[in-house]
This record gives sequence, structure tokens and C-alpha cells, in this order.
Amino acid sequence: MSETLENSLKVQRAMRDLTQADLAAMAGVTRRSINAIETGNMIPSVVLALKIARALEVRVDTIFALKGRSAAASKDED
Amino acid sequence: MTDSTQHPAELFLRFSRRSVIALLATVILLGGAALSLMLSPSRAFFETASKVSLVAVAVALLVTILVALHRRRWPASSPAVQVVMDDEMRRASVLRASRAALITVLLAQYPLVLLFGFFMELPAPRGAFAMGAATVTLGLITLLSLFLYFDRDPA
Repeated sequence: MSETLENSLKVQRAMRDLTQADLAAMAGVTRRSINAIETGNMIPSVVLALKIARALEVRVDTIFALKGRSAAASKDED
Repeated sequence: MTDSTQHPAELFLRFSRRSVIALLATVILLGGAALSLMLSPSRAFFETASKVSLVAVAVALLVTILVALHRRRWPASSPAVQVVMDDEMRRASVLRASRAALITVLLAQYPLVLLFGFFMELPAPRGAFAMGAATVTLGLITLLSLFLYFDRDPA
């Protein structure tokens, strides 16, 4: 089973009462990039993920997490 | 909270997209004019096509001047321009569109040879020019239209 990247960006942003445009300005990207990440249409680079985490003042793994089991993990269990 | 439509980066982004649409229209116009010139069999049609191509060049120049005038509002060093140019989604869209345009152009070569060489039976020099014009036009149209598609605001 492949692993997918899930994010709680929308929740984290809403908790701080920020718009996509606000967060985009704080992270130095366009609003479309934030929208694309939130909707799962784009996987951000490490740099952008770190910038977003810094803007929201949380750890990267609070926003982004891998879901699903990797092939290696399944093999280890066997 | 700020209104996203008032943000300078969003304004530049809209201007940038409109410029690409204008460029796409210009490429279609110029490419169409160039192809019609090369494929025209009769003298009368050639003369008409020459006039059409002059109009196409005039429109292309006008679009270029208008874009250049508006571009002066957005110096390359301004933060809004930097944000849009460094935007990850934009860069990814350019890469995806370039890859697709390259594949399209490569795949189109054989059908173009069949079209110009065998079906239309153009003489060699004219056929070569037609292939060149068709390749460049097709590549640019694919690149620009796919860039606009990939770079759109996701729903």
C-alpha cells in the first residue's frame, strides 16, 4: 500500500483566523499555492513546508503527515 | 484578514496570466498566418495571405507594446513579482507544460511529414518551412495553453 501525504493546513489556518491570502503573504507564495496544498493538488517542497510551519508557528509534522502503510513496513511485519 | 484580490502578488498574477493569454493569441495568429503563407498554392491567395500576415504582425506588435507598457508597473525587483516568479505552483506548471509540449512536438513530426510531404505534396523547401512553422506553432500553443491550464486556481 502506498503512503500519501495528508495535511491539516486548512484547520491550522482556521484556528488562527487567517485567510489563504494572509498565509500566502506570510510564507512568501501565492494564494493559489496555499489553495493547491490544502486541496491536495500539490505537494509542497521541504522549503515551502518549513516556511508554512514557521508562519503558523508549529512543527512541520503538525501540519503534514504520511498516511497509509509503506511496502517496507508491511515487509517488516511479515 | 486581507482581501486576496487587493494583494500586489495577486494583481501581478492576474496581469501575468492575461499576458500569457495575449501571447497565446498572438502565437495562434502569427503561426496561422505563417502556415497559410507557406501552404497557399495560388498567387492570389498568396497575396491575400501576405496582407493577413502583415495584420497579424501589426497585432503582435501592438500586444507586445501594451504588455511592455503595463509591465513597467511591475519592476522585476518588486516583492510581488518575486513572489509570483518564485511560486512553486507556477514553476511546477511550467515544467509540466514544457514536458508535455516537448512530447507533443516530437510525436507530431511523423504526422506532419505525412501531411506536408505525402498528402499535400509540397516541394521540399516549402515543405521544410511549413514543418518548421507548424512545429514551432504547435509547440508554443501546447506550452502556453497547458501552462494556463496547470497554473489555474484549483477548485
